[in-house]
Amino acid sequence: MIPIENFLILSALLFAIGFYGVMARRSAILILMSVELMLAAVAINFIAFATYLDADAFSGLVFALFVITVAAAEVGLALGIVLRLYRERRTANVDEADSLKW
Amino acid sequence: MSLAQELHYIGPALALFVGAGVVLFADVLSGRRAPRWGLTLAALAVALAWTFVLAMDGDARGEALSGAVRVDAFSIYFAFLLVGVTLAVVLCAKRWADSIEQGAEFYGLLLISAASMVLLAQGNDLITIFVALETTSIAQFIMAGLARTDRSAEAGLKYLLTGSVAAAVLLYGFAFLFGMAGSTSLPVVAEYVASAPESGRLPLLLAFVFIIGGFGYKMALAPFHAWVPDVYQGAPSIVGSFLSVASKAAGFAVALRVFYTGLGGGDSFMAEDWAIFVAVIAGLSMIFGNTGALLQTNAKRLLGYSSVAQAGNVAVGFAAVAAGSTIGPSGVLFFLGTYAVTNLGAFIAVHVVAERLGTEEIADYAGLSRRSPALAAVLSLCLISLTGIPPTAGFIAKVYIFNAAVQTGHDWLVVLVAVAVVNTAISAFYYLRWVRTMWMDDPVEETRFQPAGAVQVVLLLSGFGVLLFGVWPGPLINAARSAAETLSIL
Amino acid sequence: MAQADALYVDYLPVLLAAIVGFVLVFSALIGSRLLAPFSQEREKGTTYECGMLPLQRASTNFGMRFYLYAILFVVFDVEAVFIFPWALSFMGIGQFAYWSMVVFIGILGLGLGYAWKKGALQWR
Repeated sequence: MIPIENFLILSALLFAIGFYGVMARRSAILILMSVELMLAAVAINFIAFATYLDADAFSGLVFALFVITVAAAEVGLALGIVLRLYRERRTANVDEADSLKW
Repeated sequence: MSLAQELHYIGPALALFVGAGVVLFADVLSGRRAPRWGLTLAALAVALAWTFVLAMDGDARGEALSGAVRVDAFSIYFAFLLVGVTLAVVLCAKRWADSIEQGAEFYGLLLISAASMVLLAQGNDLITIFVALETTSIAQFIMAGLARTDRSAEAGLKYLLTGSVAAAVLLYGFAFLFGMAGSTSLPVVAEYVASAPESGRLPLLLAFVFIIGGFGYKMALAPFHAWVPDVYQGAPSIVGSFLSVASKAAGFAVALRVFYTGLGGGDSFMAEDWAIFVAVIAGLSMIFGNTGALLQTNAKRLLGYSSVAQAGNVAVGFAAVAAGSTIGPSGVLFFLGTYAVTNLGAFIAVHVVAERLGTEEIADYAGLSRRSPALAAVLSLCLISLTGIPPTAGFIAKVYIFNAAVQTGHDWLVVLVAVAVVNTAISAFYYLRWVRTMWMDDPVEETRFQPAGAVQVVLLLSGFGVLLFGVWPGPLINAARSAAETLSIL
Repeated sequence: MAQADALYVDYLPVLLAAIVGFVLVFSALIGSRLLAPFSQEREKGTTYECGMLPLQRASTNFGMRFYLYAILFVVFDVEAVFIFPWALSFMGIGQFAYWSMVVFIGILGLGLGYAWKKGALQWR
């Protein structure tokens, strides 16, 4: 078996990359993609734990499914809002959306 | 357990969910020229949900739906609070909802959001908690972006982006908790934590930091508060009033649930580590919130910063929770109860002014006492209560929660309370300046106006509540105490 | 170590398939290079050998409608993920699970009906 640490390190790296992306990117779409990376890291964690812990820990696998579906719903909504903002402002950059003091 | 009994346990949430569906379908099926049924149907659904809550046995303790939800005095307390707030918001929203194209969608989303919050307070499993949290968040994202203004869309986008990051952070903590306990069920997690080896300290602390980051976002605690002023200002004011009261209460409810029911609360061997962390966050929230609010000229934005500072006050009780104090959680519950009444009154008053006078600037509140005396009186009362001056509910709440923290006997909690008292003095400056503007300054215009009938009732009730809990807090404190006692299950 | 070896043995078919795939593809490419006739006309160089000449830049804006469809598709598509584990364990979980899934699909259907009635599926 591949030791569980490998999965945990992979997911920690993915999470960190995603978090960096959220902080460094300006386009709302790219921020969303970074959030997806973070959620993927979480899903990897859940599946790794569920597989290694014991055969009955199905709840981890189920949790991963819920993470995936909720992420899809969130992205769908975000795209909708970005489209609306884009139609009015012709930009998808969050730091140009500054009519509110950020 | 029979199906009927299980359905009774999730009755309030179910009534709200079904109500949301009915509102949405009534809208698409009735066509363009049909009368607007949204308000009536939504009010009926909320009233039905409230009946379900009232019909619940206050001493009931149990799990339903294979352990996914838990019903006890704690969940009933929050169900009562959240459904009540939703009813008030539904009653005050008519004028605004009629003015936009998506009135029915607004009611539907409001009900979905409220239903998930009720489930959130009942959550007994990490999966339930996550799904309920995301359902209520997604509905709130849409509501924040519902108005046809540029700012509203921007508020929605910012709320969504920050919210999804917070969800990912929270989930990362949940994943570690699951990895250690081997189950997502809170009672199983509680058993694990109660007998956790010393080597589990570091991973548990890591999980705790991630989880408090995720929940801190919902509770509007610093340093996870950057979205609060922007969203409160950009979102429609009626949505803002719902967010500032219900969303925050639900955030604290679920955080208490996870830390007390799941992680053992004050009895845990890590209680002290957690408490120091929460205490730092509480102090930061008060300082950031109050200094931020000092410079604001926009009423909604000021209430946003003030809500961060108030979240810091509640978190003082939270820090006392983890430090082993038993009155800490009841302090949190009592504070949230009075805060709901107070802040709802203030925000709805701002909503009325924004609607009638078309302004959110505090300078334009000049002479409001002459233009709409009752409105100005209620708003002033709420602001005084937010400051924490007797004989209002806010005063009792602050005394109660600070007392809980001091009684634990930890030096650093005494320091935290000292910080809180200094911050109360700072907050008096901007709250009372606003009150002074309303009563002392001359209005630009003398025309009088009055809010609609239902809005008047809500405003008067909240003003009345602020005074009532200020002079006679006993019943609410008792309810909060018995609710807090059911939190711990081991 | 023996465990790790067993793991790699499990992946042997994958390696074989990869090698066979590479050999097949490259032999096909090189074979056609060697055997097939080539013409050097200008038309051969265009993006589409037959059909319209490409006149614009490739990165034009798509209509908003495409995005709406894509969003709707993604949401409904991902909800289907719950059906797979249900189907795999269908024999062992009994009546209650069956009716739960009926309710779930019913709610999804209602959602689709709502989107339809709202005109989200209309091509304007």
